[in-house]
Amino acid sequence: MKDLDPIKLEILWNGLLSITDETFVVLTRSAYSTNIKERRDHSTAIMDRNGRLVVQASQALPIHIASMSGLMACLLEKFGEDIQDGDLFVANDPHTAGGTHLPDVNMARPVFSDEELIGFMCNIAHHADIGGMAPGSMAGGMSEIYQEGLRIPVIRLFRRGELQHDIMDLLLLNVRIPEERRGDYFAQIAACRLGSQRLLEIFTEYGSDFLLAAFGQIIDRTEKRLRRALSEVPDGVFEFEDVMDSDGIDAFDIPIHLKLAIDGDRVHFDFSGTSKQVPGNINVTMNATQASACYALKALLDPDVPNNEGILNVVEITAPEGTLLNASFPSPVAARAHTCQRIVDVVLGALARALPDRAVAAANGANTTAVFAGTDPRTGNGYLYLETLGGGLGGRPTHDGKDGVQAHITNTSNLPVEAIEMEYPLLVEEYNLVEDSGGAGEFRGGMGLRRVVRPVDHICSFNGVGERFRHQPWGVHGGLPGRTGRFLLREDDGETTRLDDKPGDVKVKQDQAVIVETPGAGGFGSPRQRSPDRIEADRESGKFSEQYIEQHYTP
Amino acid sequence: MSWTIGVDVGGTFTDFFVLDDASHKIHVAKWPSTPADPAQAILQGLRKMSRQFGVVLEQARHLSHGTTVGTNALIQRKGGRPLLITTRGFRDLLEIGRQTRPHMYDLNKDNPPPLVPRRRRLEVHERINADGTVLQDIDREQVEDLLDSIDDDVDCVAVCFLFSFVNKKHERAVAEMIQNKADRRFHVSISSEVQPEFREYERFSTTVLNAYLQPVMAHYLENLEQGVLKALPRARLGINQSAGGLMSARRARSFPVRTALSGPAAGVVGAVYVARSARRANVITLDMGGTSADVALVRDYRADVAYERQVAGFSVRLPMVDIETVGAGGGSIAWFDRDGLLKVGPASAGAEPGPACYNRGGERPTVTDANLILGRLSPGGLIGGEMELSMALARQAMEPIAAELGSSIEHAAWGVLGIVVSNMVRTIRTVSVERGHDPKGFSLMPFGGAGPLHARDVAVSLGMEEIVVPLSPGIVCAQGLIVSDLKEDFVISHRTLVEKGEEKSCRSIVEELLGLANEWFKSEQIDPDRRHLELRLDARYVGQNFELEVGIARGGTLDPECMPDSERLKELFFEAHETSYGYFNPDDEVEVINFRLTARAGRTLESPSGPSASRSGQPQVAAVREVWFEDGGPVETGIVDRGQLQPGHEITGPAIIEQLDTTTPVYPGDRAEVDKAGNLIIRIDGNQE
Repeated sequence: MKDLDPIKLEILWNGLLSITDETFVVLTRSAYSTNIKERRDHSTAIMDRNGRLVVQASQALPIHIASMSGLMACLLEKFGEDIQDGDLFVANDPHTAGGTHLPDVNMARPVFSDEELIGFMCNIAHHADIGGMAPGSMAGGMSEIYQEGLRIPVIRLFRRGELQHDIMDLLLLNVRIPEERRGDYFAQIAACRLGSQRLLEIFTEYGSDFLLAAFGQIIDRTEKRLRRALSEVPDGVFEFEDVMDSDGIDAFDIPIHLKLAIDGDRVHFDFSGTSKQVPGNINVTMNATQASACYALKALLDPDVPNNEGILNVVEITAPEGTLLNASFPSPVAARAHTCQRIVDVVLGALARALPDRAVAAANGANTTAVFAGTDPRTGNGYLYLETLGGGLGGRPTHDGKDGVQAHITNTSNLPVEAIEMEYPLLVEEYNLVEDSGGAGEFRGGMGLRRVVRPVDHICSFNGVGERFRHQPWGVHGGLPGRTGRFLLREDDGETTRLDDKPGDVKVKQDQAVIVETPGAGGFGSPRQRSPDRIEADRESGKFSEQYIEQHYTP
Repeated sequence: MSWTIGVDVGGTFTDFFVLDDASHKIHVAKWPSTPADPAQAILQGLRKMSRQFGVVLEQARHLSHGTTVGTNALIQRKGGRPLLITTRGFRDLLEIGRQTRPHMYDLNKDNPPPLVPRRRRLEVHERINADGTVLQDIDREQVEDLLDSIDDDVDCVAVCFLFSFVNKKHERAVAEMIQNKADRRFHVSISSEVQPEFREYERFSTTVLNAYLQPVMAHYLENLEQGVLKALPRARLGINQSAGGLMSARRARSFPVRTALSGPAAGVVGAVYVARSARRANVITLDMGGTSADVALVRDYRADVAYERQVAGFSVRLPMVDIETVGAGGGSIAWFDRDGLLKVGPASAGAEPGPACYNRGGERPTVTDANLILGRLSPGGLIGGEMELSMALARQAMEPIAAELGSSIEHAAWGVLGIVVSNMVRTIRTVSVERGHDPKGFSLMPFGGAGPLHARDVAVSLGMEEIVVPLSPGIVCAQGLIVSDLKEDFVISHRTLVEKGEEKSCRSIVEELLGLANEWFKSEQIDPDRRHLELRLDARYVGQNFELEVGIARGGTLDPECMPDSERLKELFFEAHETSYGYFNPDDEVEVINFRLTARAGRTLESPSGPSASRSGQPQVAAVREVWFEDGGPVETGIVDRGQLQPGHEITGPAIIEQLDTTTPVYPGDRAEVDKAGNLIIRIDGNQE
């Protein structure tokens, strides 16, 4: 393919990014649920007519990068020539429709100019509930995907511009709080429609030949850029292994093993030696494994590389079918994000040896999830409050890790305490960092978060997912591991009992409170190398106890 | 005789815009800023104007002042030493923020550390519920103990409690205890006064910033009053704020955070004024300087207001003119990214060393160099300017870009312009299409030194058909200051369902707001005939967590009865929802979150006096040179001195219009006309592109 004028291409690319950003904002603003509006748990993208990812919104989430490609592969295979102007496809199933877990609902709308298919406008939004056994559709304890909620294969929600009311009815009947879900579906639909209109405008301006060639070159240039960065990494085979706590049912100490081979501008991730898929819901389908590997590579090599198919092309993966990282039907996958976070840590662990001066220690390695549900005594209506909490990010070559942030593949906001209490019959008693939770090191690990929540005037149900609640986030180059997380139930007399790490349906009475403590992160470099200034800062801030400082930093 | 004076203090220059209230004559001047004590430059500049134009300082009625003292203190971290007193269990909230990383992939980018270090964030026992009832009384003894142990160097205190926007009792109690301390004085900011709105992190962050700026602003205003105001004994001082409009020095002392984004706001206010003089109600402003461009949307002569923004990396929630900034200016540098694509900015050569053609040591190719290469800028520099531009250095800097592209230097320069334009277009899309407004219905108003050079390409990319170039594009900001009103925004956060039976409670909130505004009018001594009020609501569908602004009423006086009934209120909300998102659901419940009232003291100002005589026909062409209006090649183009243009003059492109502070190309086929106020109205030739 002849190179297009790089100036014209840059200007077009800017225009395409504008489209995904605009649709991202429209989806944020017009959605109903807090999960999308406040936490921005969604992404928008333009795919070409072959289903390749061309442009993703600048705020899109890393975990979503491969999911869109996955959906497109299934859509094209299933519908092939039978794709019409005005159709709109919806899907969420990880095993048959390229999804990564059921609450992430994918949409794709083909864009036609006259009779010619140009590409697809896509988006993904995490719905706060997709049905299944537990409110929020994220709880542990389930062993089949059927229990996790409504499975949607790739189907038409619109046929030639006509909403398929029967299908919408079916979708809504199977989820909790259907009015809210309906709002979210329509927000997604609106984003697809608007994006299609914009893409057509650009198409008219640039013409078919240029636009379609440009799609290819965008992907090409990105691939080359990432390969060039790879070729600067020393060749070699680097192995690393980390262990997940549990699957929430009966598997414990679940290994993720990686043999990472770098050869010139190629990289191969071989996850052989990783655990078989587990009964619980932390399994990962291939798309999400791929997204996680892409994230880690990009973060270490070239954080500004654009997100498109070019990155996916670089990442070669071997993950035997039926294992934790390439789970097959009917394994449950709702809590796949925890495993994805761990994949990132494992890749970072392997690359630490290839790139010692860019290494980053293990992060909180989890998406600590807390779900409170019940009946609001003020109104008699059901409510459901879901939140994923951040924690520590690992120590870095020149800086301490980050305290209390979302790590790696996710970057969703918290819900304001005042929003929680206005919206739900809950009282938040504390929201702070967890003392001593960052692993010691020349550059210490980041700190975990503590949130204490109490039901007001009713008994609520709590469920949650914790990871790195037993296996600590490791340090790198002599840095010490960070503290693990935990769920506690506090009685009115202050006594606490530790809950399961993946508890389901814990009844919490009004004089009790749930304490969520998320994991910290590992340190970078030997604690002996920590500068006196930094030690003093740890002491002065009160983030670390005297005892901790004495134990780790006294020569 | 009396005078209204606008003074805009920038990093390099202090700009003056003086209006003779009787004759409406305008005088403009610049004086080098004196950053160590900005009052010096103001005084010196005023004395110069007094000598030069006969401005009688003793007879100045208004001194409208734009200052970057707050903004700079934030950027350079040179504010006070604050203490935070907060609800028990939440000392880290300020640090955690929204638990997000500033960059999704770059592990080495961090949020700035909080302005209050952790050991100075103190927790007290107290708690207010979401409905405003007290769950736990404040432990006064504990507060006293805390106050007794404050570090010696602390000079300001932020008091931030949960749900203080519903019930400010506890914050007030602590503020009082601090102020009653006999042995020490502190500046105090309480969140229920700085911005009494829902969402604790943004409220706390804004309040902490405010406290941090209080000592700096107090010191600054003291200097200003002692120095400048003595020379202007009759002048009322107004300080420009981020929402546009002025506040008194007293309020600026209490709420200095409101000045943090005031610079670009004055530009938009000035642009609105220009828009009125040109009778263009809907414009998009493009204020392009050396390093960046600010864009804003003006509808029906009113700038949109935004409520949330990052300032120097910190969250601020306050009413602010909705301005987006992009790293696109005359000094923006062209470079190749790792994927081989040409990028322009955000890195900038700034004023030093400046673009390569300035011949001050800059070696990298910039937007200004590209404009020079293409003949759009005169090698002689700006009219009246002393600096010549070096074509040889510009071409030398652009050469490597051309080599990499395998093209001519001119094609490379053309590419640089195309890309900087596409960056600005993307930013304008965020203030227009992303807010539900199609730019096609707007005129583009470029100003700042570089705005008019790029306006045409920006307009075409957005489907806009008309460009309005102000008479003096370089001083729109200072102009904005003298036309600003004294203004105050009031807000009450009160979640109210829109349904029959709630009207009464809504009206009582409006009544409370009107009471606050009345007090303010009185305290600022504003005559009843100059009072203006505007009532707006932030509303949303129940369950949504994102509010939409709904305009309710405006006028000289308002009555609580102006609150419409629930049916009408819903309709207004649906209209707003339709505009912003393209749909609405008539069956869903709607709730109000915030009630907002803006009070302003109207200033009736005539349109600025433009060039006096009126002409028709073509102006004289001063010179001719080759100018590129498209990639293909240059055309012989007449150069016109804007100073010679009179209302009624018409120019059909190609032409270049040069003036003291900017250069405006008129593309082949486009038609430019000078309106009565001296603005240049360019109509883009519909047959092209």
